[in-house]
Amino acid sequence: MSDKTFEMDLERQFAASPILADADVFATRVTARLDRGWTFRQMLIGGLGIVGGLIGAGQLLGSGLVSRLETLGAQSDTLVKSGIASLPAARGLTTLLSMGSSMDSQVLWMSAALGAVAVGLFVTRAIREL
Amino acid sequence: MAPSPHSLASVHDLDLVSLAVTGGRDAFGELVRRHGSAVRGLLRRMGADPILADDLAQDAFLAAFEQIADFRGEGTFQAWVKRIAARLYVRRWRRDARLDLMAEPPEPSAAPGGGESGAANRIDLDEALRALSASERVCVSLCYGGGLSHVEAALALNAPLGTVKSHVKRGLDKLRARMAPRSPLEDPESAHV
Repeated sequence: MSDKTFEMDLERQFAASPILADADVFATRVTARLDRGWTFRQMLIGGLGIVGGLIGAGQLLGSGLVSRLETLGAQSDTLVKSGIASLPAARGLTTLLSMGSSMDSQVLWMSAALGAVAVGLFVTRAIREL
Repeated sequence: MAPSPHSLASVHDLDLVSLAVTGGRDAFGELVRRHGSAVRGLLRRMGADPILADDLAQDAFLAAFEQIADFRGEGTFQAWVKRIAARLYVRRWRRDARLDLMAEPPEPSAAPGGGESGAANRIDLDEALRALSASERVCVSLCYGGGLSHVEAALALNAPLGTVKSHVKRGLDKLRARMAPRSPLEDPESAHV
């Protein structure tokens, strides 16, 4: 047998590996490890996200962002009311708005923030699905 | 919708890889089912005991899943995972400092065929591999089972190219002597019959 023929025969014999009796058990073990790793990764990312979110929220609160947002909200509230008041047809609406307090602006900002979070979650989910 | 594991049985390897790239773990599971035995078999032929072979084969498939986007389909999926597994085995050997490629090769083993004659001389690859030294066995398995070139094997083993080539040459000579059937003219015992 020539060298080349022997080497080809050897490669063929290496490639012709018999199917082991526990092939399915082995595959199940691998996929189980894959799933475990996936679950662990999801939990790790989720946990890190929560910790990061808490740290971020703490930093925001500590930096006086809320009071600044309140000021900003009050200013925008005044601006909107004065804008509406300048319209002759909107006298009734101005009265209605003036019944509220600075709480209205806080609700507005909170809603906007929650909306932003919801959009973020939606985008994240969409990226994962794609 | 992802195909059910049952329907995956008829899907081509490359299509399963495409599904696995997008995170399809069922598709990857089918690939493991198809090629697990071959990868475990190679590791056993390299010299790993069955338990170590299974552990390393699992690690190889997990590594393959992590790197699945890098698989370009230039060779077969099985060959790709075998290369990963072979490298993992070599790394384990090097870590355990059990592989001494520079060591003197052992004395040549018993005469090929052990006195048997004719077709009976053609013995199984697994049996023939046992006659090789550990270094020869790893080098031959890497190159002919793992599909690595001599250069790639030398890099994986962190050994000089010449040393790897010598081990492969010696290993092939031993395998050829044990596996190739000898003609009656070459076999003195058969010639007497």
